[in-house]
Amino acid sequence: MPKRFHLGWFMNFAVDEWNKPFAAGGRPWDGGFYVDMARSMERACFDYIMLEDTLMISEAYGHSTEAYLKYSIMGPKGDPSPMAALIAASTTKLGVVATMSTMAYPPFMLARLCATLDNIAGGRFGWNIVTSGENLAAMNFGMDELPPRQNRYDMADEYVELVKQLWGSWDRDAVVLDHETDTYADYTKVRPINFEGTYYKCRGPLNCVPTVQPGRPAFVQAGGSPRGRQFAAETADSIIAPSSGVAGIKAYRDDVRARAAAAGRDPDEIKVLFVVAPVLGETEEEAKAKFARISAAPSYIPKVLASISSITDIDFGQFDLDKELPHLTTNGEQGSLDAFAQWGSGKTLRQICMEQVSRGIDGLVGTPDQVADRMGEIMEEVGGDGFLITRPFTTNISRQYILEICEGLVPALQRRGLTRTEYTKSTLRETLREF
Amino acid sequence: MPKPFHLAWFMNFSVDEWNAPFSAGGDPWTGEFYIDMAKAMERACFDYVMIEDTLMIADAYGDSMEAYLKYALMGPKGDPAPLAALIANHTSKLGVVATMSTMAYPPFMLARLCSTLDSIAKGRFGWNIVTTGENHAARNFGMDELPPRQVRYDMADEYVELVKQLWDSWSPGAVVRDRDSDTYVDHTKVAPINFEGQFYKCRGPLNCVRSPQGRPTFVQAGGSPRGRQFAAETADSIIAAASGIAAMKEYRDDIRRRAAEAGRNPDDVKVFFIVTPILAETEAMAREKLAFYTSTDAFMVKVLAQISSVTDIDFSQFSLDEELPRMTTNGEQGSLEAFAQWGSGKTLRQLVADRATRGLDGIVGTPDQVARRLGEVMEEVGGDGFLITSPFQKVSRQYVNEICEGLVPALQRLGLTRTSYGDEPKFLRDRLREF
Repeated sequence: MPKRFHLGWFMNFAVDEWNKPFAAGGRPWDGGFYVDMARSMERACFDYIMLEDTLMISEAYGHSTEAYLKYSIMGPKGDPSPMAALIAASTTKLGVVATMSTMAYPPFMLARLCATLDNIAGGRFGWNIVTSGENLAAMNFGMDELPPRQNRYDMADEYVELVKQLWGSWDRDAVVLDHETDTYADYTKVRPINFEGTYYKCRGPLNCVPTVQPGRPAFVQAGGSPRGRQFAAETADSIIAPSSGVAGIKAYRDDVRARAAAAGRDPDEIKVLFVVAPVLGETEEEAKAKFARISAAPSYIPKVLASISSITDIDFGQFDLDKELPHLTTNGEQGSLDAFAQWGSGKTLRQICMEQVSRGIDGLVGTPDQVADRMGEIMEEVGGDGFLITRPFTTNISRQYILEICEGLVPALQRRGLTRTEYTKSTLRETLREF
Repeated sequence: MPKPFHLAWFMNFSVDEWNAPFSAGGDPWTGEFYIDMAKAMERACFDYVMIEDTLMIADAYGDSMEAYLKYALMGPKGDPAPLAALIANHTSKLGVVATMSTMAYPPFMLARLCSTLDSIAKGRFGWNIVTTGENHAARNFGMDELPPRQVRYDMADEYVELVKQLWDSWSPGAVVRDRDSDTYVDHTKVAPINFEGQFYKCRGPLNCVRSPQGRPTFVQAGGSPRGRQFAAETADSIIAAASGIAAMKEYRDDIRRRAAEAGRNPDDVKVFFIVTPILAETEAMAREKLAFYTSTDAFMVKVLAQISSVTDIDFSQFSLDEELPRMTTNGEQGSLEAFAQWGSGKTLRQLVADRATRGLDGIVGTPDQVARRLGEVMEEVGGDGFLITSPFQKVSRQYVNEICEGLVPALQRLGLTRTSYGDEPKFLRDRLREF
């Protein structure tokens, strides 16, 4: 019997597909579309749905918001926390993870919001910890630019310590509901934290009841840089990782597990999920044709260039598509730039754009059975822990895609004994640690 | 035919009644209790439910959190925003108002959260604008104490101007969904705000679509003269204490005058007076209910602890059988004055007893009696409506039933409140302006 792996979904409270043959969306802002998505995911026994977020409209490409707004790239987005509440209230077993930036929330507000959401979700809530990585986002918060990256990590370390203390400011048995003495909560079990760090100060206590999950909500994190990976290995319950080829993801997971062990944690307590975007069809030919249509779309190249421009703060509209990219450096994500640019490969900008849609892992274009087989192989090689489904690059999420995954791919995985066929746990951290 | 008036409910995401003969609550944190309450309110055609909030556990009374936690006074409270989303999702006509403090949210986050909630509520969302009035709350946000009140109002003025500009950073019609040109948003209709004030700076634009109302309905409590001015200039609905008919009339007339002077139609500003009806099948039973409740030591402590908290004054130091000395507060001056009734000659004990009925007589009785009395009061004051709140600090299913199945039908039979929302959905702002 193969070892089972975990499934999550990396999405955002963003526009659903509205301009394709089988998509009549474009108005998801009352939340109904994403409640439906979550219900489909729960039928398919996903561990969690992850609502990503960012806090700006980019202008990196062509020094204009035009492409970003035309093609709804990285925005517009609704606030994920009310959406998380709606999803939590419409499900009973699915984990619900929301992104909240340490730049955007005073620690007290984040701590209380997470505790509220974990209670609404009956212990199924997780916080995706981000610091925000765009200067334009910082400018929405009164700063001229982001603090330097190391400072951001120092601040985030302190911030996470603070909110953990806030979550601990009520003992788990502080609420007594004693009818005889007419006592709701025992004041000896609630205390200020009197936190005073380099960056943050907070008296406490929190003014809401404790999280259902002991001590804190589940923690999810993407750990890109070494510092980020260390932070995630020490702190996270689940890590979101990019997929840059099977060897790369195996190395990543092994590294995270080693760091976790070195920090005194049981490595099995961290589930590393790799982002993949399967493209499915009833036949292999159909899937491949569908895949080819993605990069053949007229909007494809502008979307790719706008995305990489935003991440790197470089205007890729200035370069000739049919020449090699000149060497570049960035204050933004150098790693992403290097991965994108493939310097020394001799490829033109157009060629490297066309390759973006395959995201470094092959074999995920095919029938549900084929893709399920491939995912099983990959997990066997890597050792675990699972996959984070996301929409194929440059496409929008659609009911069709959700159907193909939840009614096609997941049943194929289940038939192979690779993913669960029912939930046995009722809180997120327990669900993640089920196997 | 008497002029109809409006109804709302002032509540919070707090503990429901758990220790009374017909109450089995105490664990409302999934939100279900309040969803049920909202549904009952919608059956009774309320204009809106208002979720109040504060951001600290007090220790003003007796320099200890003991009373506050024992009786769950002013806390614990869940974050109102997720609850607002849940209520909006389970209703289709009722307005949903959430309190958010300008101290607690970076303007960009509040603007986006309100916009998201208004979209989820399909135009039925309102923001109850508060600046926060407790030093302990300020200490949860890294400050040693609150800024002085005038500075808080200056900051709030600027904050509201900023978020209005953020809401307008997307012009109506920015979302075009044009299939031919594959355009979701017309970038020429979205622009940065480049706001730079004395206290706040924000580039913008907002990164979410314009909500149905464009900006949320504004609700506010304005006690002090500066507060009245701010409310008269800005609010769609004002929350006011009801400390006797003469004071109510003066307040409303003053607000209407200020609104007119600021160039607004006074009818666009609906003043709601807080009332705490105490209902039973007979008048005698209602009076007995009130007498029993207000005679307990617990009631005395609860009232004094509450007024201590909102004023940051330790009321345990005063003699119960003497008049209250004159005082001022950097906290809620309006609440202090309403409570203290200076010049009335009443002892502190009497002031506490008055608290249960909030200074308005005739609201203790049968539904028919109380309905008639409310009608009389409204007739004398001139309008615009009442904000129900539980007289006994905690809401219970029983109290919701007494109001929604008892008082409101009696009001409706007298033609005093609406009997139907009509078939057309309406924005909250328009609902308030219905009459």
